[in-house]
Amino acid sequence: MALDPGVLAELESIVGREHVRHEQGEVAPYARDATPLFSSPPDAVVFPARTAEVAAVLRLATSHRVPVVPRGAGSNLCAATVPLQGGILLVLTRMDRVLEISPAELLVRAEPGATTATVAEAAAAKGLLFAPDPGSRTVSTVGGNVATCAGGLRGLKYGVTRNYVLGLEVVLPTGEVIRTGGRLWKDVAGYDLTRLLTGSEGTLGVITEVTLALLPMPATASTGVAYFSSLADAGRAVTQVLAHGVVPATLEFLDRTCIGAVEDYARLGLRTDAGALLLFGDDGEPDAVERNLTRMGELCADEGALEVTVAKEVAESEALLAARRCSLPALSRLNTLTVLEDVTVPRPRLAEMVDRIEAVAARHELLIGTFGHAGDGNLHPTAVVDVRDPAAAERTHAAFAEIFAAALELDGTITGEHGVGAAKLPYLRDRLGDDQMALTKRIKAAFDPAGILNPGKTGS
Amino acid sequence: MSAEVSPGVDAPGAAGAAARGIFPPELLDRCISCGFCLPACPTYALSKDEKSSPRGRITLMRALETGVLEEDDPTLREESSFCLGCRACEPVCPAGVQYGELLEHWRSHQWQGRHRPPLARVLTNVVVRNWLVRRLGTFRGHARTAATSPQGPHLMLGCFERALFPAVSRAARRLRPELDAPGNQGCCGALHAHNGDLELGRTMGRRLGEQLPGTIVTTAGGCAAHLAGVLGRDRVKEFSEYLARDGSASLGELRVDGRRARVALQDSCHLRNGMDVWREPRELIAAVADYVELPGAAQCCGSAGTYSLLRPKDSRRVLAPKLDQIEAAGVDYVVAVNPGCQRQLVTGLRRRRSRVRVLHLTELLAAAQDGGLPRRRLRLGARPGRRAEVPADEPAGLTAHLNDRPLPDDPGAAGAGRPDALDGSAGPDEVHRS
Ligand SMILES: Cc1cc2nc3c(=O)[nH]c(=O)nc-3n(C[C@H](O)[C@H](O)[C@H](O)COP(=O)(O)OP(=O)(O)OC[C@H]3O[C@@H](n4cnc5c(N)ncnc54)[C@H](O)[C@@H]3O)c2cc1C
Ligand code: SF4
Ligand code: SF4
Repeated sequence: MALDPGVLAELESIVGREHVRHEQGEVAPYARDATPLFSSPPDAVVFPARTAEVAAVLRLATSHRVPVVPRGAGSNLCAATVPLQGGILLVLTRMDRVLEISPAELLVRAEPGATTATVAEAAAAKGLLFAPDPGSRTVSTVGGNVATCAGGLRGLKYGVTRNYVLGLEVVLPTGEVIRTGGRLWKDVAGYDLTRLLTGSEGTLGVITEVTLALLPMPATASTGVAYFSSLADAGRAVTQVLAHGVVPATLEFLDRTCIGAVEDYARLGLRTDAGALLLFGDDGEPDAVERNLTRMGELCADEGALEVTVAKEVAESEALLAARRCSLPALSRLNTLTVLEDVTVPRPRLAEMVDRIEAVAARHELLIGTFGHAGDGNLHPTAVVDVRDPAAAERTHAAFAEIFAAALELDGTITGEHGVGAAKLPYLRDRLGDDQMALTKRIKAAFDPAGILNPGKTGS
Repeated sequence: MSAEVSPGVDAPGAAGAAARGIFPPELLDRCISCGFCLPACPTYALSKDEKSSPRGRITLMRALETGVLEEDDPTLREESSFCLGCRACEPVCPAGVQYGELLEHWRSHQWQGRHRPPLARVLTNVVVRNWLVRRLGTFRGHARTAATSPQGPHLMLGCFERALFPAVSRAARRLRPELDAPGNQGCCGALHAHNGDLELGRTMGRRLGEQLPGTIVTTAGGCAAHLAGVLGRDRVKEFSEYLARDGSASLGELRVDGRRARVALQDSCHLRNGMDVWREPRELIAAVADYVELPGAAQCCGSAGTYSLLRPKDSRRVLAPKLDQIEAAGVDYVVAVNPGCQRQLVTGLRRRRSRVRVLHLTELLAAAQDGGLPRRRLRLGARPGRRAEVPADEPAGLTAHLNDRPLPDDPGAAGAGRPDALDGSAGPDEVHRS
């Protein structure tokens, strides 16, 4: 489906000719994001520089019924930016300024295309912390972070992106520009549209400015590692840590498969005889950090840890965290198709969920390694298969369908932080139920009567 | 995970996808499209367009492989040439994608016949002829020793380096007299591999490996990485790596105006990204001078092999911020570890009439060992207060034209950097008087 030449000409007059791409080769690189197996090119790629340009593009699209898919860095893992129905891909990376940092109000205002790392560095330069830290922070944009409600390694203590969004400037699909929330930490006037838009995955409006809350930068941070013979033991240790009133900044785990893969890949000297590895860490004042780390180490030992090490200096702490950072690279090198998911269960059921995943993997003869955020109950089961083996791809689909069902059985969810996109839309009803699905569609229609914004995703 | 595999599966070889056999599947399949390479890529920084990013280029390669795009698609042509080939995308890639190798396959396919940039054809043709390479070097004597000692270690002379910067190999042999430097050695073929003739490039690399058995020591980062790819990593030692083995014992000191010299480094992309050699040159510089790390030392200077000749404008856009950094750093010298970078920096700094001099690492170390740098100063009717300096790093002879080749669309390149351009009466932009 090619774009009407008239529409193309209008797009060019809105943003300037050099900011529109429509040749086949130019749009081909935008056919996909970080999600494997999904690919569909847009008809045109448009790079707006201003809110007014975004509004004009959306008005045009609504009047001509042309699909529009907003895109930041295209690092999402749920095919949220794949233009399934073609149309316009609206890329916001030209709007990448950090507009303001207000230490007195503890907030930052930025355009949506600024990367997470840029915003965090700008805040750090003023001694402030932007807490959400998705693994993709060097690439992902803050607009994308808000639109997916991104999480990260610090979720347990600091929450996720939603806890930091104070206000948004949003262009509605029909072209109106609204500002929700603002610089206020308290504001209950009207529905909380800021929260509704956070995690809306580009289906309700296009975010053109974000106001995000900052925190004072913690003085120091440190990390420890504990090995357990099984994930069940590690799970009990997590429960004990939290039951003793310690809320660590980091509480990450690797299962046996991941430990082996990471060790083969990075040779960090991990114990490959262990069934689980637990990374725990905290930040704050040095004496508090040391106290918490010692306490967590003791609690792990009480729960039967095979070995506990607490970093004595920053460099050592970094080395320990490397194990977690290497998990995805190490697993992805085992084969050519890496499918990463992020089911989430109530914290006490973590070990149970990992058992279920292992059983599913065995049943479908798949290699699935699981790592994730133990403190949040957020797991990343990662299947690695041969991309050239269609049967294996089929088995992977079947296995993940069972894994989603298992998570729901354990009162969990199909996605903790990566989003629904096109990839998990088929499972959304299982999570939300018929009534919420119907309400979701009515909300979508209220924002986007023509149904042009990111069709084929949530709300469609 | 989706319930159904989308019809437009772009992974070549994945269910139903065609394959043209241009790329080794195991290389192309590696990319997980995470985008981690985007912030590292200089061309993406310029364009902010996915097609000029490593991830986008790999998607383009996949589209070429599967036939989604025609072979003569203009974007394919443009992007295979706009890419610097700097491989900055490799160390940051979590999946271990060997982008440099993919690019070589891409260009070998894309630049067949008439699609090959004519200048690339001329350059690669020049160096493929051994006799011509040897002639080039005789304008200004590079190092050479008579008989080949079979077991090495051999000093590789490098075809462009021996012509442009013959003092580099002389300095290398002053530092390490045991290095054997036969004058009749050929070209390693890196130039060919990077410019659309991968097979010839590899054949030439293997041939050089036979000519110089045992360990090959090279002063050119680009050649080192290519040779390591062809002959195996253990056969190749870049010079700083070779020197670093036996510590920094008695390297001497380089002084300027009675104080220790301040020296910065420009990494060689292939040396750093392809061979993971970057500590060694820093340590060697720090042993003889005050080392100053440039903020963008690891980023490509825009020379990128033949790039500065094929795409002079883009090359200068990449170079400009680096020159700013060098001038802001307050250094006496900036050190290169690859002849292309050396040439790029010499030309760029000269164009700005900067006082910072460019040296190859071997030249810096030899100067420290000899207790100073031989300065060849020419005063050329300069403006009052401006001292025109033509240092020993001036490219010589025939190949000086390569340096300052006038390019029709690039007025700034004409004559800039030549001694006569330093005549203060005219700006470098209007001068070409050779
Ligand atoms: C290796 C890797 C690690 C990751 N780690 C994490 C992690 O730890 N935690 C986590 O939560 N996620 C993680 N992610 C997923 C991803 O990086 C995040 O979802 C991120 O927030 C996406 O940002 P983006 O700029 O790439 O958005 P995109 O991928 O471009 O877009 C994502 C969604 O947001 C919408 N969107 C983007 N910009 C706007 C806008 N301005 N207005 C309206 N809608 C918009 C798009 O339409 C789409 O629906 C990871 C991804 C990778 C590849
Ligand atoms: S970082 Fe590597 S895997 Fe990720 S998109 Fe770039 S080349 Fe592909
Ligand atoms: S080689 Fe350099 S210019 Fe080319 S894609 Fe990689 S980082 Fe970008």
